[in-house]
Amino acid sequence: MRLFSRAAHYDNVGTAPAVTVREHDIDLARRASSGDRDAQRQLFLAQRAAVHHALFRILGANRDLEDLIQDAFLEIFRALPSFRGDSTLARWCQTIATRSAYLAISRRRPVAVDLALVEDVLPSDADTRRQVQMRLAARRLYAALDRLDPKHRIAFALAVIDGRSLAEVAQLTEASVVAVKTRVWRARKDLMKRAAKDEVLASYLAELDGGER
Amino acid sequence: MNDQDRLGPPPVEPLSDLSWARVERGLWTRMDSDPTRVVSVARSRPWLWAAVPALAFAALALVLFGRGSESPDAGSTGQADGQPMRVVSGAASSAVMFGDAHVTLDADSAVVMSRDLEKQSALLEHGAAWFSIAPRGSRPPFVVVAGDTVVRVIGTRFRVARSDERATVEVDHGIVEVQYRGGTVQLRAGQRWTSQQPSQVVAAEPAVVETATVDEPVVDSKPATRRSDTRRGDTRRTEPSDVKAKSTDAHLLDSEQPEIARTQYERMQALEVRDPAAALAGYLALSRGTTRWAEVALFAASRLAADRHDTRAEGLLKNYLQRFPAGANVDDARELLAHLKGDH
Repeated sequence: MRLFSRAAHYDNVGTAPAVTVREHDIDLARRASSGDRDAQRQLFLAQRAAVHHALFRILGANRDLEDLIQDAFLEIFRALPSFRGDSTLARWCQTIATRSAYLAISRRRPVAVDLALVEDVLPSDADTRRQVQMRLAARRLYAALDRLDPKHRIAFALAVIDGRSLAEVAQLTEASVVAVKTRVWRARKDLMKRAAKDEVLASYLAELDGGER
Repeated sequence: MNDQDRLGPPPVEPLSDLSWARVERGLWTRMDSDPTRVVSVARSRPWLWAAVPALAFAALALVLFGRGSESPDAGSTGQADGQPMRVVSGAASSAVMFGDAHVTLDADSAVVMSRDLEKQSALLEHGAAWFSIAPRGSRPPFVVVAGDTVVRVIGTRFRVARSDERATVEVDHGIVEVQYRGGTVQLRAGQRWTSQQPSQVVAAEPAVVETATVDEPVVDSKPATRRSDTRRGDTRRTEPSDVKAKSTDAHLLDSEQPEIARTQYERMQALEVRDPAAALAGYLALSRGTTRWAEVALFAASRLAADRHDTRAEGLLKNYLQRFPAGANVDDARELLAHLKGDH
């Protein structure tokens, strides 16, 4: 079940052949794990967007995001000696970022932060109004996600919101495709229950569900 | 809703350059103050030292496996092509999947296994282990070497224990052939053999075993200590006069201990991708228990069966609803069952 195809993926490093990419990744990981700060910085700059993307999708707008990115990169650097090039460095980093997000949710269950300090007033300009509606819907969605089981939440965020394939989510969450499918299913079910009392959320979920067909 | 009205997924809001600078500065500061941040190449050198005895052990394993293949009847138990893998259990027992074989090590035991799935073999270095072997079909027998003892199996569940050069073999179900210093004996379900009396085959003491069929290999951890079981029917052939039954209420079954059941459940979850059939069998074995994990496991088995288009899925779901009418997954089970019925 391919839910969305709009995810920005970060698995490709340039247009070099796969073998070269793998060699590049392994070489960079080796240099970075040996303590070469230039290599570490190169890795950070190359992967920071992917890590940020994964964390943002799972956690939503969050005032702790900068700290969480740091946490994720610390884990990445700690784990670098175990990188063998079985997947791309980008995918590997996102897997660790996903794990970091899971730990963060399990540890302190961050609550999605309101993106506006004042009550949203729908402006007359169509584009701006759409943006405000989007923020409102996103806020409701992440507020509902905050109440889900962390594993269900992550599976839903990556598969439905980010539009990744179930197989890819399975890789990122180190779970089976069947387990991911079940988690998405349960997350959707829980969200629909909450949406029964929230028109904005209901409408947004309906749109997301429409996108998967 | 037309496309223009669609809101789409919430945008990933980019971090400003200032934020990124803050992240980077904080990251390097934390790395510099955390000595464990990166395992450098120099720090990983102890592995090189660990590799020396490991290689020596691998060589020993090759020699021992080779000796097994020299016996007259063991022509098909040739040396494995893959590099051997050594599994060591600590204070607690541990389980490992080895192709379609399931090995549960007692505490403080070690086994070396070939990675060749066609010619599977295991060398019991010390301690004891239960082996659940799926039917071999046309493949060569599974071979376990414990000192001078060579055990050949076609598909069964049995236990091998080793202390120095002494070995003991017990069979749960199926038949195994034990070769020892030129002699060969056959052991059937419920029988026991020891290298101290190689010509004798005696009835094994009753032990807690899952009455599994070959289609549903048992994956439960085997307890390190022996326990009696009067709850389930024991299909093994044992002579009552040879057996002194132990207290029946002394212990709980492993699958009835919530922590162990939870661990087993998680193992099966992890196994789903690599070997869904084994995971399904494991869930089914776990579902026979009485903890809450039995309920979870039965639903997991149903879900996995449904996903694999296994014809048992519908029956499993019905069984779930019958056994656990107030279970946590009842709604999901009903929904899945309705879905399956709708498919048919």
